[in-house]
Amino acid sequence: MKRRHFLSSMALILPMAVVSTEVLLSSCNTTDLEEKGFTEDNIKLLDEIGETIIPATAGSPGAKAAHIGEFMKVYVTDCYTVEEQNIFWEGVNTIKKESNKKFNNQFQKLNLSQKKEVLNSLRNEPDKGSAENVKKGTGDAIQTGKGAENKENANSGKFFSMIQNLTVFGYFTSEPGATKALRYIQTPGYYKGEVPYKKGDKAWAT
Amino acid sequence: MGNINSKGIKANTFDAIVIGSGISGGWAAKELCAHGIKTLVLERGRNVQHLVDYPTMMKDPWDFPHRNQLTQKVKEENPVVSKCYAFREDAMHFFVKDKEHPYIQEKPFDWIRGYQVGGKSLIWARQTQRWSKYDFEGPARDGFAVDWPIRYSDLAPWYSHVEKFVGISGNKDGLETLPDGEFLPAWEMNAVEKTMQKRIMDNYKDRNVIIGRCAHLTKPKEIHLQQNRGQCQSRNLCQRGCPFGGYFSSNSSTLPWAAKTGNLTIRPDSVVHSIIYDDKNNKATGVRVIDVHTKEMTEYFAKMIFVNAATLNSNLILLNSTSSRFPNGLGNDNGLLGKYIAFQNYRGTLSADMDGYLDSYYYGRRPCAVMMPNFRNVYKQETDFLRGYMVFFSAYRDSWGHQVEVDQMGESFKMSKTEPGNWGVSMMMQGETIPKETNRVWLSKDQKDEWGMPLLSISVDYDENDEKSLKDFLNEGAEMLSKAGCKNISTNDSKQAPGLDIHEVGGVRMGKDPKTSVLNKWNQLHECPNVFVTDGACMTSTGTQNPSITFMALTARAANHAVDELKKGNLK
Repeated sequence: MKRRHFLSSMALILPMAVVSTEVLLSSCNTTDLEEKGFTEDNIKLLDEIGETIIPATAGSPGAKAAHIGEFMKVYVTDCYTVEEQNIFWEGVNTIKKESNKKFNNQFQKLNLSQKKEVLNSLRNEPDKGSAENVKKGTGDAIQTGKGAENKENANSGKFFSMIQNLTVFGYFTSEPGATKALRYIQTPGYYKGEVPYKKGDKAWAT
Repeated sequence: MGNINSKGIKANTFDAIVIGSGISGGWAAKELCAHGIKTLVLERGRNVQHLVDYPTMMKDPWDFPHRNQLTQKVKEENPVVSKCYAFREDAMHFFVKDKEHPYIQEKPFDWIRGYQVGGKSLIWARQTQRWSKYDFEGPARDGFAVDWPIRYSDLAPWYSHVEKFVGISGNKDGLETLPDGEFLPAWEMNAVEKTMQKRIMDNYKDRNVIIGRCAHLTKPKEIHLQQNRGQCQSRNLCQRGCPFGGYFSSNSSTLPWAAKTGNLTIRPDSVVHSIIYDDKNNKATGVRVIDVHTKEMTEYFAKMIFVNAATLNSNLILLNSTSSRFPNGLGNDNGLLGKYIAFQNYRGTLSADMDGYLDSYYYGRRPCAVMMPNFRNVYKQETDFLRGYMVFFSAYRDSWGHQVEVDQMGESFKMSKTEPGNWGVSMMMQGETIPKETNRVWLSKDQKDEWGMPLLSISVDYDENDEKSLKDFLNEGAEMLSKAGCKNISTNDSKQAPGLDIHEVGGVRMGKDPKTSVLNKWNQLHECPNVFVTDGACMTSTGTQNPSITFMALTARAANHAVDELKKGNLK
């Protein structure tokens, strides 16, 4: 307990501490519920969370096939502030705890409706601000989940927007997401201002 | 400063020296070389060869580890340049990093720079509109700055000259406020933009809504094919460098064209320290260059010198070019050098939604927006502020970024995200600012960079006129969007610092009178006529247009004048 306390206060001070603790922690106890860091287990867990948000469907693979956990490892480590990283890990640990509390099992082993129930328990009000921020292309929403300002459980509310935006962004900018779930053409060749659209046609990836 | 090496005077002597290889330096080189002038182009940055040095041009979004976002480390190390919309993972190698080239912000100023062969022409936004007669007449009519020594008719043939070579897309709209040019086919508007165009023009008899004009080859002509440039492929990844040469840059166009003549020498990694002035013969004889790597100083000589280092760096070089004749900087008898810096006001933006049109979409990515030429104070003073603004807007359907009302996870959530959202509209201003003596740059007396160059101090700010113009735009913009049928209209003042517009101009302004200006009507220093300044530094006022095409036209005009003068024996 003391060790953990020491490590989490390190994380507050040193941006890289969260990453460097990975080795330490994984060598001690890989099933620790409060484990931080992108261990193999945590990446698998993030893949499962991502897949719950964006599942494989008839026409396209899901977030797991887009290696969303590996993407989060790179993105959260390099693009998040320390504060954002703390919200991220606090949220991941809440998911672990809620899974245990509600279903006495690991998130990975729950059925789909149980997984959704756990994730939904982290949600506050539907998040309007985040979509706006993603639209502006600032990347802020992906990082901070701006818009979820509910006072109670503010952090878990922020976390839900965060993990949702992270999954959406990571998935739709991945090769399977962009090319299978959306229409991606690197070199369109020309521009046409008006083409017919019918419900169900996919959006342009870029 | 290292040793001065003047051993090979002959080897270091050219007919002309051009300082800078960006959008105006490239044009100076092209025009001079075409007339048989042996030209040395000095570039302070590294070499960037067309196609060869565009490492990201063919990359897909997933090829970037952070999917084209910035890392915390990059943001923390680059608080200034990371504000620039184009400074992303795919093109950050074409921007100056904050630490590499410090400067002093007496007031907040985001100085965005591109130090490489081609300069910012690689990463510019490529929007190109001619000035109108009203823009050139502005300072004299409204009593600010000084009168331009030229009028639209002086520049019109040179606009044509550069437009034909550059390749500009646009419609012949027949507007006095935004004269037509030599156009390639225009880009199309989408369904919502067409509706908005009609509704706005029906509601406002004094306002025009037209498609943007930009330096993209929509249908290349023979002259463009000769440059090995092809049709724009609507990728909109331009800031990486274009594999097709679809947009104009020095690298894809003017520099290789100049090189073909055999008259061009480019020396990258060459920081120009100063221009050498010969007190006896009353003329500039060359430049002192510091090698970026060895830091050794070498002198190069020529009959004429073009200063095209980009607005603020051209000011810096001239201020640093001191001699017994010019103790305060070359050509600076009147003390105006470095003063009357101006920029463009980008602070105002609006966003809105448009219901309907869900059976319409678009194909490809268009490199321009819809445009409204300035409608404020055009024919006479009408508002409580001087001058006006250009309006740009575009309508779009969001891809996965749009908000989803259904479940926030699972199959239905995903499927909603894979379809385009409803239509949104965004609008922005590009406002003229009034040059003022207090908006100025000067050399630090005690701080130098690693090449021994004094740091530039910058003190540039908005004024009350800018605040009023901004307010007017936000009001008018909201009203126009409303009349165009938009909903959920919101306005925003970014409060961004000057500089982020990347349209800084002035400091070496043109004018008729040597007492009140630094350059004459041919862009020659009044007091040292074999030095020409033809980049943004020469601008007497800012207009509401994107500035680059005007820099290009002014440069071509000045270069051809220089060649004429040389032939007449007036430049020795």
